[in-house]
Amino acid sequence: MTAQPLTTRPLISVEHLTKRYGGVIALADMSLSVAPGTIHAVVGENGAGKSTLMKVLAGAVRPDSGTIMLDGSPISIDSPAAARALGIGIVYQELSLFPERSVLANLFVNREPTRNGLISLTEMENQSRAILAELGLSVDVRQPLSRLSIGEQQLVELCRVLLENPRLLILDEPNSALNKAETERLFAVLETLRRRGITMLYVSHRLEEVFAISDAITITRNGRDVRTAPTSALTIPEVIEGMIGQQREALFPPPLPRLPGKPERTLSVSGLSGGKLENVSFSARSGEVVGFAGLEGSGVSDLLELLFGTRGASAGSVRFPDGRGLPKSPTDAARRGVCLVPADRRRNGLMLDKSILFNISNVVVGACNDGPLWFSPDTALARAQRQIEALRIKAQSAFVPAQSLSGGNQQKVVIGKWLEIGPDVFLLDDPTRGVDVGAKREIYGLIRKMSADGGIVLFSSTELPELIGLCDRILVIYQGRLVGEVSGTALDTKAVLHMTNTGQMPDGDHSSKGSA
Amino acid sequence: MTTPETNPARRPPFRLPDEIGVIVALVSMMVIIGVARPRFLNPINLFALLGNTTFLGMLAIGMVFLLAIREIDLSVGWMFNFSAVFSALLMVGGFDPWLAAFAGVLFGAGLGLVNGIISVGLRLPAIIVTLGTFSMFQGLSLVVNQGRAIVPSDTSSSYFAVVSSKLFGVVPVAALVFVGLAIAMHLLLHRTRFGYRVQAVGSNPDAARLAGIPTGLVRLQTLVLMGAICGLSGVMYVGFRGAIDPNEGSDFVLVVVAAVIIGGTPLSGGHGTVIGAVIGMMIIQVISSGLIFFGIDATWSTFVTGAVIVLAVSLDQLIKFQRTRRAERAKARPDP
Repeated sequence: MTAQPLTTRPLISVEHLTKRYGGVIALADMSLSVAPGTIHAVVGENGAGKSTLMKVLAGAVRPDSGTIMLDGSPISIDSPAAARALGIGIVYQELSLFPERSVLANLFVNREPTRNGLISLTEMENQSRAILAELGLSVDVRQPLSRLSIGEQQLVELCRVLLENPRLLILDEPNSALNKAETERLFAVLETLRRRGITMLYVSHRLEEVFAISDAITITRNGRDVRTAPTSALTIPEVIEGMIGQQREALFPPPLPRLPGKPERTLSVSGLSGGKLENVSFSARSGEVVGFAGLEGSGVSDLLELLFGTRGASAGSVRFPDGRGLPKSPTDAARRGVCLVPADRRRNGLMLDKSILFNISNVVVGACNDGPLWFSPDTALARAQRQIEALRIKAQSAFVPAQSLSGGNQQKVVIGKWLEIGPDVFLLDDPTRGVDVGAKREIYGLIRKMSADGGIVLFSSTELPELIGLCDRILVIYQGRLVGEVSGTALDTKAVLHMTNTGQMPDGDHSSKGSA
Repeated sequence: MTTPETNPARRPPFRLPDEIGVIVALVSMMVIIGVARPRFLNPINLFALLGNTTFLGMLAIGMVFLLAIREIDLSVGWMFNFSAVFSALLMVGGFDPWLAAFAGVLFGAGLGLVNGIISVGLRLPAIIVTLGTFSMFQGLSLVVNQGRAIVPSDTSSSYFAVVSSKLFGVVPVAALVFVGLAIAMHLLLHRTRFGYRVQAVGSNPDAARLAGIPTGLVRLQTLVLMGAICGLSGVMYVGFRGAIDPNEGSDFVLVVVAAVIIGGTPLSGGHGTVIGAVIGMMIIQVISSGLIFFGIDATWSTFVTGAVIVLAVSLDQLIKFQRTRRAERAKARPDP
């Protein structure tokens, strides 16, 4: 665990790695070399091969051909245990912890230290104290993990891996569930680790963060590495270009012209309280995209839940475009043309074992009562075909299960099932989480279309550039209160970031107005 | 992004029905027994077999909906018994047996409604609620029948004649009702809005709720349907046997769930097969009756039934592994 001097010899390198699954090529010719003591980012769209590469290095997948060299000598990584023995640790995107067990139990899964043949909690505490302190994690280690915030849980996972003293630490989208503050904390930890000489491979979709943290970037596409360069020699547009293979128009499509003949409708909320939310008032009209910014737990998701009827309001009044108040239940919401695209699509948005055909009929057949009692597979198929075409869902057919789709295409299925009823109000809760750049752009296009077609779009996101690029105005929620609104020329990252983290308007900003 | 390479076929790719495995198993068992003991394949014997399957088979059909919605109803045996006792008592009391039978079905639905209201209202899993109502229904049934078999004295009504008659002298009418119910319930599960919702809730309850599906109502309806089917099975039993024993139904639930699982309906919910459950129940019947034909002590049939369940779920799991692997393979495909 001593800091290693920077040498020209890479800590780990892979050359000409290939991996096929049946007729599918996951890795075509992947090469990569990581200098010791650096944070090396690997970026690429979904399916570019970066996850397979990480699984190969972690011993979870065996490559068909190619060589892996550690310290200049070829090695083979046959199993996760072998990877651990070689000093390779991996933090997966999805937490692989036990929520009901204590923090300590999670740190020493399957390698609990013993004293006199019995598992010793004291020994565990002694062993983990130093690392926990280093990570800045000061929690009661005997309490169940589920009491911790997601960010703290992520740090526990990191700590678990670090306790095995890895030389190479692989982080596969470690912050996809983290908010800004937690991400900053994680990054501070990564800086510390780098100073200690630990080499890191960092996989992420969030390019701003990749640029903030990494020393070098490898861009992957279609199972190949297309470019590796020091981070300082690259720009975000260059990286995006490398990932996609050709220069594209801006990520955010321009607003579409309003569809004529649609009546202007509004959603007005006054004095709404419930959950973490206190006394929030605003209104949104058709044809605009209203963004909601706030840290995790600020109350943004509570607002969307209140408006969708999954959570009861304790005070306030709301007037929907149909002239009525809050929906009594999600069923009521759906029947009144209010839709919610949830943040966690795998858990809350999809029936993963069911076909696209089945999922697209979710709302029309499942929620609405005005259709026939009969369920016609032909009608359902026509519905699915329509959305597959309209949203350009990439799938072999409408009969494949939703779990076989990539993240972006899964999200399109969730959106497609709602478009089938032509909603008036769209509540979008972080709809591009964990989606690759290409699909993100398509989803932005869909959001533009929702609003151009006369929908009222409320859009929450954990990614600020996305809010700024897409929304007409952004409402900032801080600790349950609406602390401000930015629009027009004031729409910039700094102002919104300032408000989401402090609850205060930045000084000297004339074009934005407070409204809480 | 170029044009999507989606070129969806109009029809699903051809594949054998999911029930093919159990059908092959049933037929081969019958052939094996039939070759050794040709008497077994006598149509009269086969139809008698089908007749025996009827009452438990109906319960299995209802249970498919419960497993499909990721629930389980433990009280089916006593709903069956209590409804049968209820309608038999009405018959003893002088009501027209047809009317009494109809009332028995409604009574069963009412028992299902009790399960449904408690479980939906308190958001408890049906398995917990029915663990309690299992004994409640049993106890109430015992109170009203006073531990004795209820025998409607006047069996001159056409009800008893019709229910226990055999079409063309071989096909039991009860078996026909059973087959008819199976077809109707198959269509209900796969071709109606209700069936769609049952599968949706069973596949992912959270996603179903957030898609606006009235999950509580669907759950309630499923439990009421189960009760009504128990009632139907119970009143037909009274018509068929002419009496209802105080303990009839006590051991039904495990056999019923076993038949559904053998038939290929997963405990994890999301989909179910009525046809499979019917075949599954027939497999259980063929096992016990086949053992008799071979002169093996009937007590072995319990063991064999258990072994068949273990075999069926093992095969099912192996197939699932295969499918998961295929799905992962499809997912690893790089975007073009």
